[in-house]
Amino acid sequence: MTLLPGRALKASLISLVVVVCACGGGGQTAAPLPGCNAGTSQVLFWTSHTPPDTTSMQHMVDAFNKQSTTSCVKMVAVPGSETDIAKLTTAVRGGTGPDVYELDRFTVAERAAAGVLEDLTPFGAASESSNYLDFAWKEALFKGKPYALPFDTDARALFYNKDLLQAAGVDASALDISKGAPTIDMIRTMANKLNKKDASGKYTTIGFVPWLSQGWHYTWGFAYGGSFFNASACKVTPDDPKIVQAFKDMFYDWSGALGVNAVQTFVSTYAPTTPALPTEQDAFLTGHIGFVVTGPWVLSWFPQYQPNLHYGITYIPVPHQGDTPATWAGGWSVVIPKGAKNSKGGYEFMKYFAGEPGQRVYTKETQHMPTWKTLLTDNSLYQGDLGLFVKLLPTAHSRPALPVGSLFWDQLSTAQDAATRQSQDPATALKAVAATTNDKLSQYCPLAA
Amino acid sequence: MIAAPRLRRVRLNEQDWRNLRTALPFIAPWIIGFLAFTVYPIVYSLYLSFTHYSGFGDATAAGLANYQHMAKDPLFWQSLNNTLYYTALAVPIGVVVAIALALMMNQNVREVAIYRAAFYLPSIIPLFALTFIFIVLLNPGFGFVDYVLGLFKIPAVNWLGDARWTRLSVVLLAQLGAGGPALIFLAGLRAVPSELYESAVLDGAGPLRRFYKITLPLISPVILFDLIYGTILGIQIFTPAFVLAGGTSGGGAYTAGPENSLLFYVFYLYKNAFQYSDMGYASAMAWVLFVISVVLALAIMRSSRYWVHYEAN
Repeated sequence: MTLLPGRALKASLISLVVVVCACGGGGQTAAPLPGCNAGTSQVLFWTSHTPPDTTSMQHMVDAFNKQSTTSCVKMVAVPGSETDIAKLTTAVRGGTGPDVYELDRFTVAERAAAGVLEDLTPFGAASESSNYLDFAWKEALFKGKPYALPFDTDARALFYNKDLLQAAGVDASALDISKGAPTIDMIRTMANKLNKKDASGKYTTIGFVPWLSQGWHYTWGFAYGGSFFNASACKVTPDDPKIVQAFKDMFYDWSGALGVNAVQTFVSTYAPTTPALPTEQDAFLTGHIGFVVTGPWVLSWFPQYQPNLHYGITYIPVPHQGDTPATWAGGWSVVIPKGAKNSKGGYEFMKYFAGEPGQRVYTKETQHMPTWKTLLTDNSLYQGDLGLFVKLLPTAHSRPALPVGSLFWDQLSTAQDAATRQSQDPATALKAVAATTNDKLSQYCPLAA
Repeated sequence: MIAAPRLRRVRLNEQDWRNLRTALPFIAPWIIGFLAFTVYPIVYSLYLSFTHYSGFGDATAAGLANYQHMAKDPLFWQSLNNTLYYTALAVPIGVVVAIALALMMNQNVREVAIYRAAFYLPSIIPLFALTFIFIVLLNPGFGFVDYVLGLFKIPAVNWLGDARWTRLSVVLLAQLGAGGPALIFLAGLRAVPSELYESAVLDGAGPLRRFYKITLPLISPVILFDLIYGTILGIQIFTPAFVLAGGTSGGGAYTAGPENSLLFYVFYLYKNAFQYSDMGYASAMAWVLFVISVVLALAIMRSSRYWVHYEAN
């Protein structure tokens, strides 16, 4: 059977219409949401966080929607992580991105350099600078322009299990934070008394594995007084001798002393990282490790999962007696991605979310710390040991805000992994990190405004 | 040895051309979709591979910089090495496992339908979920695999925490998906004429001889298909690495498995594209992968003239 050309044309047009209709329909609808005021325009907000953080965020969104007469926020949890923004990138390119996105603050410069983010200068964001902690505000800048509003922050400290120490006959009173920062030698001596093996020779308890949890390259690099970036030369400096020494002491030699394979088997069994065990099986909570460097978010775990655990908190240990203790602070921010359909409403929400009202709720409900300066002096917000972390903030370091921040992190992690497994000596590994990262960084230099 | 069938050139007559003109509008949506969503991205990625491009804004010309950077990027070579290691092991082992499964599925027993369903079952579990099950099974402290090894006094292996074993673990994981290829081999086995086996039995051939002299030659075209298909899929391995090694914690990512042993090629390409916003480099990597795929597929095709038998001739 032969169709007439006219009928064939109609058939092809119908087919095309079907395909086009099937491909369409991805746009945002402006249907009013429950809890929003009439006549408000919708703001789409994406976060890659999970409960319980998102529970608190929903409270903030609800409170904003209740008081706003112009905007109505819809919060959506999307896949992503600190450094992985595949979902955001593809959505923005496809014209279906959100109006506001929650982004790890140390990657703001990187995403701004890539052109993913809107410059917030036209919204008057620069006038907000004095409200935020200085380091957090600097992380929100790229070439002197604001691309984000800082949200929460954190700090790192050494947690220790008093019960384990007591059972091993170790006097934990020397670790009291009022006595200042302990030395690494002191922690090593105490930790070694906690090591236990089963009949087959596998560790069941290890006093201290320095690279677990928040014992990152940055943690020990800062503890040893190292510097990761030379701004005037526009070069990363992971091969700083102090950082090399930190890698040697805390990763390479520590692993060797415990036994490289033995400690890796212990980590794979009780503290695997990818993917991690559920929180209730955390190695510190279950008493498999005596010391751990971690952040204030674990404070909410204790009452929920291990209410009878006797723990203490002190400074991250220092190389020599009398050294100034160091920590570093991270945290998140909110940004407007390119192509946002309601950037004006988005910024209105950002000011609330990352401003005093939003951060007050988040601090109270999640035990994260605020970057909004005036909240830091409101002691009613800091229950229990959270106040200790607030005191650490003024002297906390922050990661260099680089347009290759993710790459630098991954490169440092590779060198850290090589050191803990003794597959490469720290100096060689860190030299390679510098070469690879600076090669990529050079295309963005100079970074100054 | 039997040669592959010779292809003849088709000449279209007037009626064929008329039919083609009539058919084209009907398949136009597919053609347009193919041009827009397949051909255009392929050509565009070739262009991007010669630029610095973050995915946003304008791409800037980079000449051969991305390809030159690849040559001196240790992670590129490591990811290529990891991927070829995986493919070289997973594909041949996969063929053997799939043929073994197909032979079992082809047994003339009453419960064969149950066996077929049981053997195929792991193939329909999403790879994402399967990987998580695997993680629990391979735990060096309380995993089932090391427990069984322990019964035979074999020392426990840190499957996912020791760089010497991680890639092998993923090769083993891949075999849980052998049910799919096994179905194709089963179809191949069913197509082998039974009279060949009957004659062989009369001639006194045992089961092994029948398998090597009749079954294998006659399913060799299916093996060729599976080898090429498996190789192309093998060098694109991504999901297990993403699940096993894509973790982050409170501030940043870990390495892609111990000593980056699970940094497979496409995983590294993904990281460049979506974590480091380096679409130009990712595009260059994609083209190198394409060339590698073509070379491997051609090599297998070339070798097939020595071991593939076509019944038609």
